[in-house]
Amino acid sequence: MAYPMRQRGLLSGITRPRRVNWIAYLFMLPTVVLYSLFVLYPFVASFSLSLTDWNGADSVRTFVGFDNYVRLVRDGVLRTALTHNLVWMVVGSAGGIGLGFLLALLVWHRPRGFVLFRTVFFLPQVLGAAVVGIIWKLIYRPYKGLLYELGETFDIPFLRFPFLGETTTALGAILAAAIWAGAGFFFVILLAGLQNVDRDLLDAARVDGASGAQRLRHVVVPQLAPIFTLVLVLALIGSLNVFDIVWAMTEGGPANSTEVIGTYSYTKAFLESNVGYAAALTMVMTALAIGVSAVLIRIRARQEV
Amino acid sequence: MGTTARSLPRTRPVTADRSWRLRQRLLAAGRYALLIGFLVVFLVPFVWYASMALKTERQIAASPFGLPIPPAWDNLEQAWTLGRYSQYLPNTVVYAVAVIAGVCTFSCLSGYALARLTFPGRNLMFLLLLVGITVPFQSLMIPTYYLARDLNILGTRLGMIVPATAFGLSFGSFLMRAFFRGLPEEIADAARVDGGSEWRVFRDVMLPLARPGLATLATFSFLETWTAFLLPLVLVQRDELRPVSLGLLFFTGRYSSDRGLIAAGVMFTIVPIILVYIALQRKFIEGITAGALK
Repeated sequence: MAYPMRQRGLLSGITRPRRVNWIAYLFMLPTVVLYSLFVLYPFVASFSLSLTDWNGADSVRTFVGFDNYVRLVRDGVLRTALTHNLVWMVVGSAGGIGLGFLLALLVWHRPRGFVLFRTVFFLPQVLGAAVVGIIWKLIYRPYKGLLYELGETFDIPFLRFPFLGETTTALGAILAAAIWAGAGFFFVILLAGLQNVDRDLLDAARVDGASGAQRLRHVVVPQLAPIFTLVLVLALIGSLNVFDIVWAMTEGGPANSTEVIGTYSYTKAFLESNVGYAAALTMVMTALAIGVSAVLIRIRARQEV
Repeated sequence: MGTTARSLPRTRPVTADRSWRLRQRLLAAGRYALLIGFLVVFLVPFVWYASMALKTERQIAASPFGLPIPPAWDNLEQAWTLGRYSQYLPNTVVYAVAVIAGVCTFSCLSGYALARLTFPGRNLMFLLLLVGITVPFQSLMIPTYYLARDLNILGTRLGMIVPATAFGLSFGSFLMRAFFRGLPEEIADAARVDGGSEWRVFRDVMLPLARPGLATLATFSFLETWTAFLLPLVLVQRDELRPVSLGLLFFTGRYSSDRGLIAAGVMFTIVPIILVYIALQRKFIEGITAGALK
């Protein structure tokens, strides 16, 4: 791995012995110091905190073994939160990827105004999920929100519903905003994938009399399969880690109806000072994130071969 | 299905050609109608906020979708002073500049070492850096908070800058490592044969070649810092030190009854980043997709 180029070419006979570049440690120094302190140490400390019942203030931390993890299993709110993460995985991923793919197909052949469309569809991505959440919170707001006003003006009673205030609709309302914001991301990646689709194959299918839908299903989608896999795994990781948009819109409420594991562990850690238990919750997130990422790494390794 | 299809109809009979063309036209029109529909869905919120920002509460109540005539500049002025945007915005700029400088400098060095230098422990460091890419910030937030408190940087700007930089380093190192690996080894070797030290080879030969990679990394770090939310939520507790995205949350909570004022806050938060995005569009899209494909 070290000097692949030395094996051939001009220098092949006179290769220096594999010398250690001591200067490399100087190069690595700032990264190693900062990274150890603020990433590796917290990573390990999270686990050790999860074995205590610390409340964040006392000087004593009692070691309680795996008690917190036992509590996790019986925690109804955690179960609710994980269910919402699961809903997010299915609806959020399908919605975001579906809309992104539709948009990518619509501009695939670079119609007039292509740059405008791309700029606008991608726009929510640069705002950040929290700001998107705040913007949509006010759009959904009863009496003063955009949807309510539209409902008033055009007499559509459905739109005057307090979407974020009711337990039945709150999660769906957040998901809609998340799909609106996330589609642009999938759109850009899938559009890049579409540029590499084999045009000759498409034309051949057309000559053979395949309809548009058939060409899409049997020619385009199979060629995009690796990209779809990638995009799907990314969407799944995002669904597990989701926090910003939910916190900005509902903080997990009303009555835990939009609680996800990210908001739940934040609440436990910083609002209820249940630090030990919150640490155990974040360990669950870590485990899930590592699990999904391992799948991603394996897929990518296979694709690169 | 436009351009490549045009060569085909020649073989078809004229009448079929005509109906085929009509169908194509209808398809194109339908596609445009859909595209413009989506354009509206994506833009309406922005237009709504922009017009509200220039209206008084009474104007909004009277005609929620009317034009802001005469424009009410009070909202912007009040959001700037009362709403602390005169502090949130400079804060965000300071955070972004500091984090970009830190992440780019340190990632360049470590990425180069990981890609081009031989030393014991290299593979271990590479593997450890993977942790930072895999794990979400939530997994680190609790100890990070207490660490920042114990280091006495919790109530300061450094309390945001240092952890944000550290957290950006794993992706930065990976990106720069990949970039340096992509450069031809012969160039560095030529410089070495000419008697350059490793430091000179890095600074004078390799670093200038890595500029496109650095630009992508800088754009990515800029966006990450500008839109950071959980990190400042945990680490920046003083209102006067908040960045825009977090500031907006508290601002909208405080003045929730005044729509014009809230809209002005939204404008202060999103217009700067939108302007930068439009100016550097290609880099933005590259940066975000590079971040995703990490």
